[in-house]
Amino acid sequence: MVNVKLNNLSMKYEKKLIIENFEIEILDGELLVLLGASGCGKTSLLKIIAGIIEPEEGTVIFDDEDITNYTPQKRKIGYVPQAQVLFPHMKVEQNISFGLEAHKLSKELIKERITWIAEITQIQDLLNRFPSEISGGQKQRVALARALAIKPNLLLLDEPLSSIDASGRESLALTIRRIQKETGITTLYVTHNQEESRLISDRVALMYDGKIQQIGSVIEVDRNPRNYLIAKIMGSSNVWPVDYLETNNGNSLVSTPIGLITLPYEVNRKITGIRIPPSSFKIVSTLSEDSKVIEFIGRIKSIIEKDDENFRIVVDLKDAHLEYIKVDCNKEMLNIVSAANKEIQLQVLPSEVILI
Amino acid sequence: MHRSIQKKARNFEGLSNKFIISLSIIALISFLLAFFYIPIVRIFQTALSSDSGNGFQVFWETLSDPFNLKFLGFTLFQAFLSTVLCLLIGLPIGYFFAKYEFKGKKLIVNLLTIPFVLPPVIVLIGFTVTYGQGGWVNLLWQNITNSSNVLVAIDGTVQGIILAHVFYNLSVIIRLTIPAWQNIDNEQIEVSSTLGVGKSKTFQKIIFPQIKNAIISSSLLVFIYTFNSFAIVMKLGNFNFYTLEVLIYESFDLLKFSEGASLAVIQLVINSLVIILYLVVERKSRKMAEGKEKGLKTERLSLKGKNWKSIVRISLSIVFVFIVILFSFAPIIAIFVKSFIPKSSVDSPFWGYSQIFTQQKITPLNTNTIRLFGNTLLFATVAAVISLILSVLIVFVLRNRYHSIKKYQRSVSESLVSYLIILPMATSSITLGLGLYLNYSGLNSYYNSVWIFIIMSHVLISIPFVTRSILVAYNRIDVELLNVASSLGASRVMVFRKIEFPLIKRGIIVGGIFSFAISLGEFGATFLLARANYETLSIGIYNLLGSQTLQISTAMASVLILITALCFYLINKFGDIELKV
Repeated sequence: MVNVKLNNLSMKYEKKLIIENFEIEILDGELLVLLGASGCGKTSLLKIIAGIIEPEEGTVIFDDEDITNYTPQKRKIGYVPQAQVLFPHMKVEQNISFGLEAHKLSKELIKERITWIAEITQIQDLLNRFPSEISGGQKQRVALARALAIKPNLLLLDEPLSSIDASGRESLALTIRRIQKETGITTLYVTHNQEESRLISDRVALMYDGKIQQIGSVIEVDRNPRNYLIAKIMGSSNVWPVDYLETNNGNSLVSTPIGLITLPYEVNRKITGIRIPPSSFKIVSTLSEDSKVIEFIGRIKSIIEKDDENFRIVVDLKDAHLEYIKVDCNKEMLNIVSAANKEIQLQVLPSEVILI
Repeated sequence: MHRSIQKKARNFEGLSNKFIISLSIIALISFLLAFFYIPIVRIFQTALSSDSGNGFQVFWETLSDPFNLKFLGFTLFQAFLSTVLCLLIGLPIGYFFAKYEFKGKKLIVNLLTIPFVLPPVIVLIGFTVTYGQGGWVNLLWQNITNSSNVLVAIDGTVQGIILAHVFYNLSVIIRLTIPAWQNIDNEQIEVSSTLGVGKSKTFQKIIFPQIKNAIISSSLLVFIYTFNSFAIVMKLGNFNFYTLEVLIYESFDLLKFSEGASLAVIQLVINSLVIILYLVVERKSRKMAEGKEKGLKTERLSLKGKNWKSIVRISLSIVFVFIVILFSFAPIIAIFVKSFIPKSSVDSPFWGYSQIFTQQKITPLNTNTIRLFGNTLLFATVAAVISLILSVLIVFVLRNRYHSIKKYQRSVSESLVSYLIILPMATSSITLGLGLYLNYSGLNSYYNSVWIFIIMSHVLISIPFVTRSILVAYNRIDVELLNVASSLGASRVMVFRKIEFPLIKRGIIVGGIFSFAISLGEFGATFLLARANYETLSIGIYNLLGSQTLQISTAMASVLILITALCFYLINKFGDIELKV
């Protein structure tokens, strides 16, 4: 398997740069999730790596070899496009053997490979069927098997779960994760869904404006999002943008959609947002009027059960129209406030507010 | 160093594709130049230059001639009237087939299409046998009314021409509007009614805007077909009525080439305008149909459990459809029946058939019938093969993935091909024949090689249909399929052999048979170009139309119908017929 480096890639579409000076390194054997909104250029990037489209500028390096000018045929890349494009006129088995024949493997070796990959992807029973005779999830597994059968240097997956119904998504994601670990093939997985990156990634790279904005493990990015937008893309709870920041006398006044928040220290850097973890809130029966704590009044909008003991409640804020806060609480506490639509008071310590 | 070798590797793949595409473009452009554009230029030259010096004189004289103007008006008028009548009958029938489910529906729709694929000469002979002076409709009428008055007169009348055109083109409207009706999402109608909108307003605001483009584009097609009608007007017009197409032929026949060419120029201009309009509307109607999953709610055709209003409505619809089916089939059946009716009681019912399979020359014909059959089948086969090759090349140039994905735009030469193939669509068969004649008749070998020009005219006429059949199949191929194949290591040749070809195979078969069927029945260009030994069945049948007995010509026509019907059956088996160009 290989270590992949993209250097200084740029690409235009209809005279507009959609990828600009793009840099990324995919480590040997890792599964890197490229997370970005639809239309941000993720698919084009995959096609550049696969050699299907040419970049305006920049290079694609496999280990130390510059493959920018290789044909798709020569790159040996397992490319699985977004729609499950199986060759409709070939049976599953022929679909898989197509790439092996193109690589001029012997008949015995082709048979061996098919048996091997069919077992890993659990499609042994489907080999004799036509693509029209199998389900969406099965098609995706076949597409995966077809790409992996040639033992590619790199596996490129374009939104592999997007056309799978919700119930099958998680299991397919975990299947992909297992196969990737079993085969050890360096994999670039493109998606707009942060849930998927949580499920399967070794590292996640966030992309917008034609560039990678942050890269790291999900936990790292969750803890330390570089800006408000990244926190939002990662789907973190209780994130709000900051309109302005004022500092005086050792205090900071932060304006957010949920109101003005006073912090007992001076903030001397640029901040784009704040985050307050749902577990940081305390439900109290009366407001303390203490300036050392931040307080909110709201009504319970909905209650989500996380497990027998723990719940998450969604609170509509009284003073901030259309804004809500997610709060974690246990069963005991819930029993006190459980009446729906009931007004409740929340407290949070300024030290719990994370600046982004 | 390393990199330059790789660059070469990439270039080789790109080059081999570039080479194939360049070769295709050269082949296509040479063909179009030799057999279409240079002949067309020759027509313009003949129209705009004359011996008397003033280049535009003949052109203006032809254009301002009251006789020509009158029949230019008539050509437009009859095309318009035929189109309106086709719409009035075809639209409700299209809706009926879209709305109701019943056994044998597909078969009936297919059978209704048969008139469209019949050679014009068959329509003529069918009409003569059915509605002609001694035709059975009039005989029946005379028996019923016990008089010698006829019910319909088709010889030298407008009604004959219009009736034949409606018979011929009705299926274009029916077939092309069925999908438009079917595409209307029933939920839109339901939403409209829940919003409190009445039925007629729903039709006006929701349904009509969605079928409008399909109606306009199918109407434009019928207009084009009837505007360029030749055989039907030549025979049924009977020197009382002419279309431009017939006038061009008459000028040619009288050796007034400049006049004929001038008329051809006018016709070409009008045709081009209509074709461009058609292409614009057709694109819109295709866009309208894109991305729709749900369609019109269909209903089983049944009278059970319906209120009396529905029963009356459905019964009337069935009667109407039945009458149209009868109208569409009477001439065909009449031909078969007639071919078995001997002129006297001592002759065998098979006399007509026995005559056409003898070596003996039948009087008004220039050659024996075996030769006619041989020519017809040979021309059709060769024309089909050439059309297929050229059409596959066109499809590959138009859908050159390698260019489009790298540069996101087509090269100039590729765009050129896409425009160069539009004008042949706008050219009538007589104009094609005239151009070929004007350009090549000066050659010493012309009279012995006239078969080449006949075949090439057939190729030019069928290419739009063949290209479309293949293009429809090719457009269904997901480009990603080809990308995946490349990244799996398949070479350009392997991608074609294993992916593209199997997926367009049906389109190629359909296109080939379609081209065969078109050539089989082509009349205008063949009629203009053919000399004695190179005549085809269509010409033979036409020449026999005026003879005493119709038994021989109906026997020939029956065989031609059977071959055409077989082609049509095969087309339906392998795919769908493309009435559009």
